[in-house]
Amino acid sequence: MYNIGRSMIRKDAIEKVTGTAKYTADLITADSLHAKLVTSPFAHALVKKIDISAASRITGVQAILTGKEAHTLTGEQIKDRPILAVDRVRYNGEPVAVVIADTLAIAKRAADLIKVSYTPLPVVHSPSQAYQEDAPLVHENLGQYEKIADVYPIPGTNICNVTKIRKGNMEQGWNASAVTAETKISFPPSDHCAIETRSVSAEVLPDGHIIIYSSSQVPFTIKKLFNNIFGIDQGRMTVHTPLVGGAYGGKSAVQLEFIAYLASRAVGGQKVQLTNSREEDFITSPVHIGLDAWVKLGADKNGILQAAEMIFLFDGGAYSDKAVDMSRAAATNCTGPYHIDNVRCDSLCLYTNHPYATSFRGFSHPELTLAIERTLEVLAEKLAMDPVELRGKNAIRPGNTSPTQVVLNESKIGNTRKCIERVAELIDWDEGDRIEVSPHVIRAKGISCFWKNSNIDTNAGSGAILTFNADGTVNLNCGVIEIGTGSRSVLAQIAAERLKIDAQQVFIKMDIDTSVTPEHWKTVASRGLWMAGRAVLAACDDAVCQLKDTASQALRVPREDLDISGGYVFVKNEPKRRLAFKELAYGYVYPNGNAVGGQVIGRGYYTLTGMTFLDPETGKGVPGPDWTVGAQAVEVEWNACDFTYRILRAATVIDAGTIINPELARGQVRGGMHMGLSFASREGFVFDKNGVVLNNQFRTYKVLRYGENPHYTVDFVVTPSRETAYGLRGIGEHAVIGMPAALANSLSRAAGVPLNQLPLTPELIWRAKSGDQV
Amino acid sequence: MIGFDFEYYRPKTLAEAVNFYHMLKERGKRPVYYSGGTELITMARLNQVIFGSVIDIKGIPDTWIYGYSEQDLIIGSSISLTDLEEDRDFPLLSQTAGRVADRTSRNKITIGGNICGKIIYREAVLPFLLADSRVLIAGRNGSRIVPISNIFEQEVQLAEDEWIVQFLTDRSILSLPFFTVKKRKLDVIDYPLLTLAAIKKDEHIRVAVSGLCAFPFRSEAIETILNNRSMPKELRIKEAVDRLPAPVLNDWIASAEYRRFVFQNTLMEMFTALEGDEK
Repeated sequence: MYNIGRSMIRKDAIEKVTGTAKYTADLITADSLHAKLVTSPFAHALVKKIDISAASRITGVQAILTGKEAHTLTGEQIKDRPILAVDRVRYNGEPVAVVIADTLAIAKRAADLIKVSYTPLPVVHSPSQAYQEDAPLVHENLGQYEKIADVYPIPGTNICNVTKIRKGNMEQGWNASAVTAETKISFPPSDHCAIETRSVSAEVLPDGHIIIYSSSQVPFTIKKLFNNIFGIDQGRMTVHTPLVGGAYGGKSAVQLEFIAYLASRAVGGQKVQLTNSREEDFITSPVHIGLDAWVKLGADKNGILQAAEMIFLFDGGAYSDKAVDMSRAAATNCTGPYHIDNVRCDSLCLYTNHPYATSFRGFSHPELTLAIERTLEVLAEKLAMDPVELRGKNAIRPGNTSPTQVVLNESKIGNTRKCIERVAELIDWDEGDRIEVSPHVIRAKGISCFWKNSNIDTNAGSGAILTFNADGTVNLNCGVIEIGTGSRSVLAQIAAERLKIDAQQVFIKMDIDTSVTPEHWKTVASRGLWMAGRAVLAACDDAVCQLKDTASQALRVPREDLDISGGYVFVKNEPKRRLAFKELAYGYVYPNGNAVGGQVIGRGYYTLTGMTFLDPETGKGVPGPDWTVGAQAVEVEWNACDFTYRILRAATVIDAGTIINPELARGQVRGGMHMGLSFASREGFVFDKNGVVLNNQFRTYKVLRYGENPHYTVDFVVTPSRETAYGLRGIGEHAVIGMPAALANSLSRAAGVPLNQLPLTPELIWRAKSGDQV
Repeated sequence: MIGFDFEYYRPKTLAEAVNFYHMLKERGKRPVYYSGGTELITMARLNQVIFGSVIDIKGIPDTWIYGYSEQDLIIGSSISLTDLEEDRDFPLLSQTAGRVADRTSRNKITIGGNICGKIIYREAVLPFLLADSRVLIAGRNGSRIVPISNIFEQEVQLAEDEWIVQFLTDRSILSLPFFTVKKRKLDVIDYPLLTLAAIKKDEHIRVAVSGLCAFPFRSEAIETILNNRSMPKELRIKEAVDRLPAPVLNDWIASAEYRRFVFQNTLMEMFTALEGDEK
């Protein structure tokens, strides 16, 4: 093989390390106007009056929009969110007005002069509170909102989606259980913290064509939503997405695009640039979901799981956005990668007066995994069984069924057990999971498994176009966004492998233009290589077919007698009779000048097959094509005197199927571990008693810095998928998933007290140890 | 980006700086003295501080002095925390100042700015409080030298046109045994959950703390109890907690209860460091 399993340097490396890479906010043009938002200082309030008179008088202010001009309701699942708040704000940071001015400085100055009077309303502080019958309603008109079919809000409550899993027979499950364990976990919403804050520009050309630039994971969705919300013909719209500086799910929501578009329209179509400040990016744009959960597990005396029941109350925040999907995804994989015959899960998405949630790397799986894996620890303790053994015994396998009753095979489920065994080796589990290094210093280990499939549209797909340069080199055109993962470079590797040429011969631009780029549904859910890989293979096959057609005429042999290698089409039986791609890609020219064949344009597509909606009563259905599974472990050193700790090392073993680019794959996994540990140990919004976010800056919202990280070990188990290009599996998100649980398990073991909340600060441990009596 | 306009002045002498202040004040230009800028810029960005003019004192040579007079180590107020971290003449100061913010910020934060800032921690003042340092103040009537305790009570207490030019610290203090530690919520770089600094002079321990209450302080009452060797250390610590000059902070970094717990632990660490196993 040429290209598979080679750690090639990604194609965007040089521009990134030299600082020349261009992101959306870098693409400012001389004619750009600038927009600045006015946002709500209240979590829940009536908007009594917006006085724009002083702001309007500032020279250079072109227009000011408020909810009066921008009241259209948006939302992918439930249309519950006005573009700018109308009459009422529902979270701290909600956009209330936007100023469009000649310079950003003028826009900011004018925005500061807009006076908004509010009347505060009672605040819904948590999903558990939102679930109470007497809770204030965040959306009184929930029943009147337009929505898509497979989302189930309950009007008159704060519940914006319900997903039920009913598998097997609970009574039988509990009767067969000799031991049960229950756990409650909770953590607040947090943030994605991408280095690039969200940025857009919008322009309406004189002929009505709309041009959007957006740091987005979903440029094709932007087009569809504009069509759906504003009735704009999709052909009259182009969305450009250049390099994206980190996304983590946070850029799969469409928000600023609507504001920028209305802003441009208000100034006669001139280009308007709108870029979040860090503070806005933290809370105005959507955040990472919070969760309150309760789990009960039952096992027989041998530790075989018999029953699982859980209630998930997701903190969707003020608007439903993707949170409703996340609550559904959590239900579909509610057990973690364990075989359980009897499962009952109610997964609810709640409206609260918190910043609204959208996708976050792992899409509700890091969240549900904390709940399951903490409960497994309690169960292991009650069974007096080694936690690794308990997990190994129950690890899900081919022939088992998922919570949504999908029958699994090796391709769909991989090998969880092997991952558990390997991670136990890597973390030296056998040397002991709790070691007293000195009277006050304890080293302890914790383990967690994970699984995740995608929960995306049943007909999601991807397309690819392959063209040739006259020198025989190849241009690949596909719609996966370069959000930092290196996926586009790996797709070039896949194309090179199929064309049997060196990956250096395959060129791929990093920016997307929805008018000419074939659609990739969304760059989310670890489905980039999964779907686009197949599309690229199909495009390569199509191109090779065309090359061979031309070559068969030129060489006067049947097409079947031809093969390709090293940039040539050759006769299998006489390899020296061959023609280079460059002699064929624009048609073959005979010595006398005659030409046959013509420009080669390969096209390919892939659409998910066999996906179904879930049964609303039982959850039965097929939410995604396969699961990526794995096991993770963390070792901490905890000080029993002052309750501080250090994370010494973390290990991940992931069944990644075939690995196309090992270094990039390891980078994804290490990055995921880092993000998971950061989230679990220190992230999370702190709200005051009025629901105002106190830490919307990096001064006060801490992320794990490079250099403070533990040692990371990554290893792979290889169970190739039978559905993907070369047997790869999605791994973009997965290493985040088990980290919070593994850290919580290690610290709980160290401190000898259950730790079921995040972030896991020394103070939290101190409180748990003191029995909350202080 | 800062959303309001302001004028920028860069005087060359102490007198010029003060004159600018009065001139700008009279013209309604709401002047502020400006040093490293990390606080004024970041707060102005969010309209948390608004000014019409800044007087940048970094152009004044007196603020750049770093060296010894016969009796004192003199530190100009424009010296950056990074420089102090690296010039180790006053190790207690080097270590305490070297843990403020992060390196990139310390390259800009000046010793004067940290101590005169609005952010409540002002950790760099602790060594000067412990050392009974003196400060050179510039004002309308020229400059004067006063003990730091005269002008620092919770925060700098100066007339609005006055500012600190230099810190003067007796050489004999510089080499005394000391202890300094910064406790944070979790991260290596963060505001203090508390910062505690101490020195031992003639068998007497002096202690100053930041981050525990809403202002940095050195308290005679607490030092008296901590030095009462007739009591066991545990009891001294317990009583010290009862004599704090103000309510313990209760915020997003830590609850008041946890801060008290950490304070007690830290005092014990201090005793171990400065007194070893001595009773």
